[in-house]
Amino acid sequence: MRKSLSLAAVALASALALTACGTSSEEPSTDEGASDTTELTPVTVGVIPIVDVAPIYLGVEEGFFEEQGLDVTLELAQGGAAIVPAVVSGEYEFGFSNVTSLLLATYNDVPLKAVAAGVFSTGTDPDFGGVAVLDDSDIESPADLAGRTVAVNTLNNIGDSTIRYAVEQDGGDPSDIDFVEMGFPDMPAALAAGQVDAAWILEPHLTRALLPGARVVSWNYVETDPDLMIAAYFTSQDFASSNPDVVEGFVAALQASFELASSDPAVVADILDTYTDIDPEVKDAMTLPRFESEFSEDTVALLADLALQYGLVDEEIDYSALLP
Amino acid sequence: MSQAGRVRGAAAPGIPAWMLGAAGVATLLVLLELIPRLGLIDPRFLPPASEILAALAESASTAVFWAALWHTVLTWAIGLAISLVAGVVLGVVIGMIPFLREFTASTIEFLRPVPSVALIPVAVLLLGTGMASTLLLVVYASFWQVLIQVLAGVQDVDPIASDTARSYRFRTLTRIRTVVWPTTLPYAMTGLRLAAAVALILTVTGELLISFDGIGGLLAIARESGAVASMYAYVIVAGMLGVVVNILARWTERRALFWHPSVRLEVMV
Repeated sequence: MRKSLSLAAVALASALALTACGTSSEEPSTDEGASDTTELTPVTVGVIPIVDVAPIYLGVEEGFFEEQGLDVTLELAQGGAAIVPAVVSGEYEFGFSNVTSLLLATYNDVPLKAVAAGVFSTGTDPDFGGVAVLDDSDIESPADLAGRTVAVNTLNNIGDSTIRYAVEQDGGDPSDIDFVEMGFPDMPAALAAGQVDAAWILEPHLTRALLPGARVVSWNYVETDPDLMIAAYFTSQDFASSNPDVVEGFVAALQASFELASSDPAVVADILDTYTDIDPEVKDAMTLPRFESEFSEDTVALLADLALQYGLVDEEIDYSALLP
Repeated sequence: MSQAGRVRGAAAPGIPAWMLGAAGVATLLVLLELIPRLGLIDPRFLPPASEILAALAESASTAVFWAALWHTVLTWAIGLAISLVAGVVLGVVIGMIPFLREFTASTIEFLRPVPSVALIPVAVLLLGTGMASTLLLVVYASFWQVLIQVLAGVQDVDPIASDTARSYRFRTLTRIRTVVWPTTLPYAMTGLRLAAAVALILTVTGELLISFDGIGGLLAIARESGAVASMYAYVIVAGMLGVVVNILARWTERRALFWHPSVRLEVMV
């Protein structure tokens, strides 16, 4: 009886929800695809509503995935915390996440496999993310961040490890930075109000922060490595081993998407309007990441080293199973 | 519960209650317009009310907005219906059987304060990121509101009436219908009113944190995009939904309890 109360509620909820989902218009592809002359494999990809995933939206719109026999549904989700479990449980076939998160998941024995690169740093100034301070701050270079409060979106992840590395390269003490956790959208306001000395902000929020009088003291991605691969598309090891054709088609379609996205920033700006709400003024001013599908094992090795060096993990990460 | 009705009559003499309410909203809007314009808060982070309302008007002209609104209402209604049915049925059954009541009491008290949002990781693992996960949160939070009220209602049944019914050998269902239910209904209605509001809060929360559907989803996307005016516009939409839900719940309560002293009193005043 103890459990049956909550179990009954759960069972009822899921039963009703399943029927509701079955009739919803969100997933019409499963049955209709089969009746088409060319059978498309339904594939769901968990993505975050940010600039980084513009190419895959573009690829869906341009039909690159259909050409590979895939009927891709993009599901927006709130970061890796939701996407990784959904990919592991098989609800999504693919997901998008930053590389350090993938390494940390791998370290915790979550069976993931990267299939293609997501985004790279631009490798130069400006990048699509950096550590911003107010104009009148006395922080002039990455080394000055030592002993200061710096906002990052997630503690013990790619933000603080690359910032620490940038600070160390610049001769500062990376152990002496006080990182605080805060969502990117909140950072411009926190910086303006002086709640933090500096904030690691990604686009479009970096431009929101910079427009009225802040400046960047560290392009932490670029300073870590000009060719740093920030994020990647991944699947579960189960799915990768049992559906190599789907993975291959997915990667090929992604490649076409990346080529289009990097050749024409205007189409990226247009596709952003379909799944984000970014102000046109901000959109014109912001920096796009470099879109390239070729997977960088060097980045994985570097970020795994940084994770160990800065205590994100206790021992070396064996990421061989993660590599595509 | 019955006090709520009486307080309504306590408005200032000569001024209809709705007019006072409208004046309250107008004052709030004026404040929201002035605070950013006077520079008390950076308008980048709290735009003036006029900009928020303009963003709202612009959004309301799109099909995406109405589809999202419908999605939110649907999720809320399904979640509330599940909670209501489960809460009433289990409440009556548990409440009428002393053994069950004692057996479950500590468990219920333990489970009830567990915040629904704490279940998000479980929900995502078990049910994915769709409507089902949000429903789990909604049902978990609002079910207890109904259950606790119904349990209290069943316990409030006049023991003499109950014993009399038993002496006359009423069948269980007849006893529930004629003795237990009339006493429990007002409690269940209070549960419904509480659950309706809680269900809406959790619906928007689930959409915001898990599924990115509905009004909560639009709010999350506006936030991720740094579209501050749109973000506040969706907050206003969620607030207005709350007002509508409350009006609906009160209306239902009054219809269902037209015979009950609390409602009759309200009409008299």
